[in-house]
Amino acid sequence: MESFFVRYRNFLVLLAILLAQIVGLAVQVHRTDSGRNTDARDGTGVRLIRMWAEALVSPPERLIHSSKTGVGGLWGNYIDLRHVREQNQELQKTIDRLRLEQAELIEDAKQGQRLQAMLNFQEKYIYKTVAAQAIGTSGSDQSKVFFIDKGSADGLDRDMAVISADGIVGKVRDVFPHTAQVLAVNDQTSGAGVILETTRIRGILRGNANGQLEMVDILQDQRIKPGEKVLTAGGDMIFPRGLPVGVVEKVVPDPDRDSFIDVMITPAAHLDRLDEVLVITSTLPRLSPQQQQDVATSEAEKGAEAAAIHDQQVKEQQKASAIMAERLPGLMDPNLPPDKQPLLDSSNPDPVTRPAQALRPDRFTPLPKSAGGATDGKPETETGTSDAAKPAVPKAAAPKTTVPKPAAPKPTEPKATAPKATAPNQGDGSPTGRNQ
Amino acid sequence: MSLMGANFRRDLEIRQYPVLVYVLVPLVALVLQAWLPRVVRGYVWFDLPLVVTIYFALGRRSPIQGTMMGMFMGLFEDALSQHAIGVNGIAKTVCGFLAASVGVRIDVENYTIRLIMNFVLSLLASVIYVFVSRVLLGLDQEWRGLTELMKAVGNSVIALVLFPLLDRLQVRE
Repeated sequence: MESFFVRYRNFLVLLAILLAQIVGLAVQVHRTDSGRNTDARDGTGVRLIRMWAEALVSPPERLIHSSKTGVGGLWGNYIDLRHVREQNQELQKTIDRLRLEQAELIEDAKQGQRLQAMLNFQEKYIYKTVAAQAIGTSGSDQSKVFFIDKGSADGLDRDMAVISADGIVGKVRDVFPHTAQVLAVNDQTSGAGVILETTRIRGILRGNANGQLEMVDILQDQRIKPGEKVLTAGGDMIFPRGLPVGVVEKVVPDPDRDSFIDVMITPAAHLDRLDEVLVITSTLPRLSPQQQQDVATSEAEKGAEAAAIHDQQVKEQQKASAIMAERLPGLMDPNLPPDKQPLLDSSNPDPVTRPAQALRPDRFTPLPKSAGGATDGKPETETGTSDAAKPAVPKAAAPKTTVPKPAAPKPTEPKATAPKATAPNQGDGSPTGRNQ
Repeated sequence: MSLMGANFRRDLEIRQYPVLVYVLVPLVALVLQAWLPRVVRGYVWFDLPLVVTIYFALGRRSPIQGTMMGMFMGLFEDALSQHAIGVNGIAKTVCGFLAASVGVRIDVENYTIRLIMNFVLSLLASVIYVFVSRVLLGLDQEWRGLTELMKAVGNSVIALVLFPLLDRLQVRE
């Protein structure tokens, strides 16, 4: 047995490491309703590994990026120096200095132009943004992600939109303290809601295996022509609507579904030549002081107008109440002054007098002797109960149970009170005896 | 007898490097792999971590060390991408193991063998990557034959230049 492990030690180690990685993969895969999804939020352990890897790679990348000319510039200067040194030793220093200055100026001018373009873009789309520099990539052409030199310390968070002066670039996939990982829109796992500018056809933007942008989930439509602009639709909760995405390059049939097409898109942003990008940290409009003042003035005017309308409505309600009181004399007590009327008395929540509880809610229950009720089962609405209910029970209540002809209401007892008096069990909400 | 002969030859040809080389060379390869795509603008027809893995596996001639080196480089690459950690790890683990296993039996100083080894193992790494992505993870990972072929050629060319340079770093007794 020992010889087996010794003999196949290498193979067993390989199997163990492979098995461990497969188990690790299985742990990371998140199954969703639409299938497996490995692009979900990383677990703590996985995120820690990514953070360590990024912390190892990021400083050298920053160092390389911080040098203005980089490796290419150094190489170019080296060639220039050798060429000048052969011609004239004295001129070499001057030319070298001038060329360096010129290169710096040109670089500064180019950067200034790029920043100016981004500033114009930022002013055009008034969102709160953070400017960042692309400093590195994933190193794999199968993974269209890159790293920027801003992180959570600069206010960045996951799923923030990343744009350039030309159009959308991607979204923030992961955030570290001083860097962030951006998933480009041309990655296969990326996705964004887009819309065609003229035909207003909506679709989902994603990248294909070759890193090209394509718009999928579109039914065949003859109106889609090359050259049409593609904009963000704004429904994905990441990209604000109306940002430029690119233009339609061509339309190809969907290889998997017959009636669907794929719209190939030429990206507006130079996704393979990204230097400066903008991260949209807030989609709320950033208003200028003048705009803020205008908004405040508008709000104040709107508030004053609303208050005036409210006052007018109160007055109209009071007027309607007065008219109603005049037309319903039963609600007015002629013995009381106008300001003491029950309807106007706010301390009296229910000015209508309610009848006392009926002694015999149904016709079958015999009345007690003390109440003077009959024992023959007939209702006694005109006897004992009538006295108790008399102050409030209108005569219209009685006919519903006993008297076929309703009593004529008195002029001072409006019909509005009658229904309340006809329900003996109104207090407990139980059905009346007539239903039994 | 033949086994003893193989071990004797293996022990003789095991290369030794300063510890710093084992740390810095892979790290530089990983940094360059992450930074160079910004310079070459999309033509990522190379995989420096794989080339370094193959070099150390061939030089050390230890399958376990080759396996560990491949696993480390692959996991590091995965950590820099948005994919699940382990896809590149599995691919480069297998490549490191195979390179070391083959390196015991062949003359790794031969340039043609180095070229062929890098070409074949690069293609194998790509095949394993796509296999793991499609079968184990269920991703829509397409096989791009031309790109993978160009990458294999690029790795072979880089290995032709890089291997002699790294040979100079080994400790000679």
